[in-house]
Amino acid sequence: MSNQTVGAVYAQIIADVIDSSRVDFEEMGVEESVLEDLKKGWQRKLTQLNVAQFPWDPKPEPAPQPATTQAAPQQPAPTPSYTQAQVNPAQDAQQHLSFPGGAPAQQNNNSNGPQIKPEPGFAMNEPVIKQEPGAVNNGFPGQHAGFSGAVAPGGVTARERAAQQLQSKYGQQAIASINALQNGVPQASPLNQAQHQGGQPQLYSQTPAQAQAHAQVQAQQAQRPGQPQQQPQLTPQQQQQYAQQRQQYQQQMMAQQQQQRAQQAARANGQNGANPSQMDGPSEGYEGVLMRRDADGNPVEMGRLEIDGLLHEQIASRAKQMEGGGLMLPLKEATKHRTVANKSSRAAGPSQVDGLDDDIKEEEVDEDAINSDLDDPDDDQEDDEEDDDSMGHIMLCMYDKVQRVKNKWKCTLKDGVLTVNGKDYVFHKATGEYEW
Amino acid sequence: MASGAPTFYELYRRSSIGLALTDTLDELIGAQHIDPQLAMKILSNFDRAITETLNDKVKARLTFKGSLDTYRFCDEVWTFLIKNVTFKMENGGQTVTADKVKIVSCNAKRPGDAP
Repeated sequence: MSNQTVGAVYAQIIADVIDSSRVDFEEMGVEESVLEDLKKGWQRKLTQLNVAQFPWDPKPEPAPQPATTQAAPQQPAPTPSYTQAQVNPAQDAQQHLSFPGGAPAQQNNNSNGPQIKPEPGFAMNEPVIKQEPGAVNNGFPGQHAGFSGAVAPGGVTARERAAQQLQSKYGQQAIASINALQNGVPQASPLNQAQHQGGQPQLYSQTPAQAQAHAQVQAQQAQRPGQPQQQPQLTPQQQQQYAQQRQQYQQQMMAQQQQQRAQQAARANGQNGANPSQMDGPSEGYEGVLMRRDADGNPVEMGRLEIDGLLHEQIASRAKQMEGGGLMLPLKEATKHRTVANKSSRAAGPSQVDGLDDDIKEEEVDEDAINSDLDDPDDDQEDDEEDDDSMGHIMLCMYDKVQRVKNKWKCTLKDGVLTVNGKDYVFHKATGEYEW
Repeated sequence: MASGAPTFYELYRRSSIGLALTDTLDELIGAQHIDPQLAMKILSNFDRAITETLNDKVKARLTFKGSLDTYRFCDEVWTFLIKNVTFKMENGGQTVTADKVKIVSCNAKRPGDAP
């Protein structure tokens, strides 16, 4: 599609208008220099709009190619953040859920299994972008091992297989996990740690607490001279001790963030098709925060919104620190339609996140429930925005025929001006087919 | 417009060329070079000029596909909001895509115009 003809057509329109207005100018007693001003100003404004190449412009401009290429990068851009956010909150939630007790951890793993399954596919993209090449191959078998251990906790063979795989993949780093596996220690958390240790270092960047905890753990390991890095002679008790230490330490670290994680987990649950009313479920959890904050010395009871705002600020600021800003999305936004994710990521201010979420959620629910935007006030606002925006994508034309069969529309349009991607196009006849 | 002369849609005033004209006229009115009445005359000249030019001089044909988000038919004006739309010029072969486009379309056969 070219807009080469647009300049000539517009020039002709301008000439036509100027010529036919000359009489009116004379009738009104207005000098002809004003008419010339009108023409000049009109042409200048059109040039400023940069919708096409005009005959009166001195230098030729690049063809509409930039417009299309310009639009293209906008689409892939959200993908990385999408996958990243898709993977990590789930991981967070999983890990968090596994700590408080051993038995629920299994259930959680099981229930999370189907949701997390697509992760390797998503994660596939991630290491390619971020990770050093050596770690790329290790990530996924580690995850599978973790899952096989978690999915069949009672099965000895599955356990052994997991242990073997861990050993072969991670060597001494996975010893703790393997021993834990063999000793029947609650499996979920060591396995998760193994995943973190071995396969996907980039996950550390998600939460500083995790990274810290890990650095600490590794430092502990390094500081023990009596226990060399090759650890075949370590007794199971020692290993258990390790695991417990790690758990304790991480629990400490987690305690700060537990509420936030609970929030994320709740979101994850709500996101994955759970009843929306469950979004209000974790409010009991928030009351805990409320009490604790009071004990910390806030004399005034904090409202839920305030607490939410605080938590969101913390999360967002940490995410920004680690990510360099804006890549990490709340799970709810990230697993949404990409367009919505786009919109919200643009406006990802720390304290705005909460309000934004609510709006988007309502929008989503409405769309799903009614499936018609005819009466939707939001849509009218959209239209108004477009009306105000002179560079909005708009086609102005006449219709010859508009036909509809069920949800399939066909229309024949003529004599149109189309502005799209900042370029103008004119057509004599257009046919459109679209489904509602 | 003088009575009896065919009237033209003011639809195209929203196009980029129409907006450029109205902006320029606004400036001229603001600078008191012309009065609003003359501006209205110029705009109606523009309505006629663009309609005739598009009808006579433009030969390009266009097809487009997309998913219809919103449709509206009010006062003989169709309004469509189409998402993920792809435009294709028939001879040029070049395609242009947009995530959404609004189409405002007036009846080609003007009821008041025919007699």
